[in-house]
Parts: sequence; C-alpha cells; structure tokens
Amino acid sequence: MKNGFLFFFGLFFVLALSWAGLVLGTQAQMGDLSPHYDDLEGKSFPERASGLASRGQLVYQDLGCAACHTQQVRRPEYGSDKERNWGSRQSVARDYVQQARPLLGSSRIGPDLANFGMRAKEDGVDAASLLVSLYNGSEGMPAYRFLFEERKIIGESSPKGLQGVAAPGYELVPTERAETLVAYLLSLKQTYEFSEARPFEPVHANEGAHE
Amino acid sequence: MTTVSTSSVSTEVSDIDRSAHCSLSFLIASSLAWLVIGGVLSLINLIQLHTPAFLADCAWLTYGHTQALQETALIYGWAVNGGLAVGLWFLARLGGAPLRGGNYISIGAVFWNLGLTAALVGIACGEMTSFSLLQLPRFIQPLMLVAFGAMAAPGVLAWTGRRKEATYATQWYVVGALFLFPWFFSVAQVMLLFVPVRGVLQTVLASWYAQNVYSLLLAPLAVAVLYYLLPKIKGKVIPSYDFAIYGFWSLLLFGTWMAGRTLVGGPVPAWIPTMAIVASSLVLFHHIILFVNLREVFSPAGSLALKFAGFGFAAYLINGVVDAFFSSRVLAAVTQFTYFQTAQHQLVLAAFSLSIFAAIYYLAPRIVGAAWPSSSLARAHYMASIIGFTVLICALAIAGWRQGVALNNPELNFTAIAGITRPWLLVATAAQGLLVVGNLALGIHFVRLMLTKSTAESLAKFNQPSALEASS
Repeated sequence: MKNGFLFFFGLFFVLALSWAGLVLGTQAQMGDLSPHYDDLEGKSFPERASGLASRGQLVYQDLGCAACHTQQVRRPEYGSDKERNWGSRQSVARDYVQQARPLLGSSRIGPDLANFGMRAKEDGVDAASLLVSLYNGSEGMPAYRFLFEERKIIGESSPKGLQGVAAPGYELVPTERAETLVAYLLSLKQTYEFSEARPFEPVHANEGAHE
Repeated sequence: MTTVSTSSVSTEVSDIDRSAHCSLSFLIASSLAWLVIGGVLSLINLIQLHTPAFLADCAWLTYGHTQALQETALIYGWAVNGGLAVGLWFLARLGGAPLRGGNYISIGAVFWNLGLTAALVGIACGEMTSFSLLQLPRFIQPLMLVAFGAMAAPGVLAWTGRRKEATYATQWYVVGALFLFPWFFSVAQVMLLFVPVRGVLQTVLASWYAQNVYSLLLAPLAVAVLYYLLPKIKGKVIPSYDFAIYGFWSLLLFGTWMAGRTLVGGPVPAWIPTMAIVASSLVLFHHIILFVNLREVFSPAGSLALKFAGFGFAAYLINGVVDAFFSSRVLAAVTQFTYFQTAQHQLVLAAFSLSIFAAIYYLAPRIVGAAWPSSSLARAHYMASIIGFTVLICALAIAGWRQGVALNNPELNFTAIAGITRPWLLVATAAQGLLVVGNLALGIHFVRLMLTKSTAESLAKFNQPSALEASS
C-alpha cells in the first residue's frame, strides 16, 4: 500500500458508502413521512404530545428509563409482544414522527411501554396509583423515592399528596418531575390503525379467480 | 510490504521511545485509571440488575445512569486512551522516526480526559443522550472531537513522514481507526444532536454509530496489536501475509454495514436488518484471513504478552462467529432485548482489552526504560482477566438466553423472569469483581514501573529480553 492518497480515499469512501446506504437510503424511503390526517375524526395521527407529556419525556430520558424499557412492538412473528398485550399491532415508523427523540430502547428488563397509556386505561390505573407504584417500586422495578418530597403536615395537607403511604402527620408530595413523568407515561399509545401497520396477509393463488 | 524483523536487545530503547515517553505514559496512566473506574461502575450496574434496591435512593446512580456511565468510561476512557497510546507508539516505531507533535498528544489527552470527566458528571445529572455508546452529553461532544483530532494528528504525521516507504498491516489498521473515528463521530454529533434527523432515522443512525465504534475503532486497534506483537516476539514471518490487505478492507467494507442487527423486527425498513445479517456473514472473510495470518498467537511459548494476545484473538474470532449466527432472525427473536446482547458487548470489550493489555506489557517497559518490577502482579492480572472475562461473558450469555426464552413465554411475568436470571447475574457480578481486582493489579504495577529508578541493577535486568514483557 504505497499510494497514500488512494489509501485515505479508500478509507473515506468505505464509510461514506455505508453512511449513504443506511442513512440516506432510509431518509429517501421515509424522510417525507408525515402524520396521517383522518377526515372522520378531524385530526392527525399520531397526535402531538401535550406540553406536560413532552416535559415528562425529558424526565424519562434523564432518569435513563430507556435502559430497561423499550417502546417498540415488534412484527407479529417476533416473541410474545402481542400475547403480553403490549400492542394490538406492530409499531411503524410513522408512530414516532412527532417525537423529538424517539426512545425505542434496546433492553427489556421491564415491560415494553409503547402502549402503556392504553393499558393503564384498560386496567383502571390512574395518575395517583401510578405515582404510588413509582414511590414503592413494583415487579422488580426499584422505588424512585427521590422524585417525592416528604414533609410534615402543617395546617392543611396538600391535595397532591399520595394516599395511604406516608407516616401519620407527614405527607408525600410528588415533585414536578414525577408529575410530568406520569403524564408522559399515561400518554403513550400507538393505537391508530395506519394502513402500513396492518399485518401482511398473503394472497392465495385461487383467490380472485372468480372476479 | 515487508514483515518487521526482531530487533536486538541493545536497540530496544531508541530515540523513538524517548520522544514518546511523556505523552504516551500519560495516555496509558489515564486509560488504566478509567479502566478501574469503569470497572467499578460496571460492578454497581450489575449489582443493580439482581438487587434493584441497591443505591436506588441516589438520583445520580439510577440503573439507567450507571449503565451509561460504565459504558462511557470504558469506551471513551479506557479504550480510546489505551488504544491511542498503543497505536501511536506502533506508528512511530514502524515509521522509523521519532514521534512528531508529541505536545499535541499531551494537550489533546488532557482536554479529552477533562472533557470525559465533565461528561460523566453530566450523565450522572441526567444529561445523557440516550443513544447507546454515544451517551456523552451534547455540550461536551465538540470539545471531545477537537481533542481527539489533536491526539490523532501526530499519528497521521508519523504515517506520512515515515522513513520506510513500504507499510505494514499494523499501520493500516491504526491509521484507519485514527482517521475514521472523527469521521463518524462528527457525523453522529451533527445528525443526532445539533441538527437532528427525524423519527426512527435517529435510531438507524445511532446504531450505525455504535456499530462503527466496534468495527472501525475497537476492532482495528486490537488487530493492529496482534499483527505487531506476533512477528516481534516470535521472530517469524507471518504466513500468507499477502492476504492481509484483503482482511483489512473486508473488515472496513462489511463491518460498518452490520449496524441493523439490533433493529430486527422493529419499526425500521426491513432491509436494514437484512443487510446486517448479510454483512455479518461476509465479515467472516476478514476473520478467516486473520486466523490464517495470526494462528501462531495461540502458541505463546512462555511470553505473557502473547498469552494475553492469544486470549484476545480467541475472543475476537468467537465474536465474529457469534455475530454471524445470532444476527439471524430466528435466534434474534430470542436474544433481542436481553442480557445476551450485553454478553456480546463484553465479548468485543474482552477482545479489545486483552489485546491492549498484551501491547501495554510489551511497550510500557520500552517507553519508561525499566523492566516490570513484579511478575506476580502480572500473573495475578493475567489470571483475573482470563477467568473474569470468560465467566462474565458465559454467565451473561446464559442469563440472556434464559431471559429471552422466558420473555417469549407470555405466562411468565417480570418477577418470574428476574428469578430465572438472578443466579447467573450473581455469577456475572462475581466475575466483574474479579476483573476489577485484576485491573487494579495492573494499575498498581504500572505505577510501580513508573517509579522504578534506573539503577545499574534494574538496567541489567532490563537488558534481559524476558524482563521486557514480564514473562512468566
């Protein structure tokens, strides 16, 4: 390898090739993906997160929740994503177009959260009970006590205080971080039926013969 | 292209080594400090896996934080400092000229390590980016890029200003890593943090970056060590050396396409994981050539450096085969999102670390100008590293496989899954503890080496070839 110029050009080119293929290729395929406007419902999907939930996403990111929780339902033939009620359909790229930083995650030490908001609604979990399980920890998840403030009740107690957890004479008040985090978690859902999210059904050869 | 020949003992320490004394000693010392710090953080991280309540009340050390902290300390602290020290020394030695621009290395290294310290504080405060292997906070990344450029520039100068026209495999691999890391590091910074691309394209780009850290930074530096040490210590020509060039380009060409193997089944275009599956098979061509060229590493003949290199090379080859098999969709359906991927990460780290240890045992006495003071510390480090890495990787792989099978069974809840993996995670924690002890031994040994005075006795000892690499 005596030609220095050719060597450096080769190095540059090899990486440029994979960058162009993977990044520009994906950009060309789905760069113009936009939310889908539904005429019947009169709004676009996926919906933009509320201000509270957007701030909650930053808390989710700061605490490193993504180290244990994914936010992606895989295609039907992968694992038990559907049986575990993590989502009725696979996640598609359009589900993430409204997010400043999609947190797909790469480890499932805890459950997938792509549809956590929908599941919470079905199971009757509201913000107050979610805060209690955040304080106490649950199913192997550590307790996040530093997101709460324990203080002595002087005069009237705070309406935000957790019910039935604090010692007598004290109250546990969620910090702003805890409140926004819970708002974010309850907002998570990928339920709108985009056309590309329908499972692929093979067309049999004999079908259509009568048409 | 010629194969390097063994030099006689009398020329073991030359002007080339003296030119590199200050800057490279600093790089090695800081790499070893980060190795111990990263190891301790990794230990905390593993303890939290089986005992979630451990340090749970400390907002700085949540599991998500310790995960990002240990990964950052080991990759950007240990791997970059250690890899650069070794790589720059090889370039100066093989170029046959004293290292030019040594001050740039020192200044770059000071800023790199200060930046990394600030980055770890930032991560502990929740400023991480949440992209795997690129967790450095946004505010510090441009500084790190400039600092790396300052450290890498003398390497490129050593290449262009070399006294011998012909180049050797070690030089290609080192220059490749030095040149390509700023390339993909800067692209990732701009496209992920400063002008972020939209939606899942971020995920694709982040996985491209993470794969490049493995294939274009850690792997080339490890391979460079093997190509350098084997002919030097054995005094033999590398067999079928003409193929080495194909091995080099096949790693670069195919390795970087393996990015999508963690995205199987996810919300990205399906061709991305498919390309990764194809690429991880094609890259085996590189591993086959390496095996043909370097298989004599497996008969170390009493050389401690070659023993380390042998285990590093074994880990490297096994990693290639594991990547090729476990990127397939059938197996990925079990291992995706589990500790198995942690085991694969540790396997890459083992291949890299063991090779760099080998290089440090070989070059540190030449830089410092004194022999390693204690062969028992070296042996302790060797035993701890080999046992630690083997047990850690096997335990994590078994835990990951069992976790994956359990995850695919919807009857089992997460408490049950944690119960299944717990025994293996305890074993992995013990192994990580052993690794920390071993790395501490290396750190202490290096400090003692630095403090060794050049008395007549130590010089006499130094002139025995065996003393130069702490033979056991």
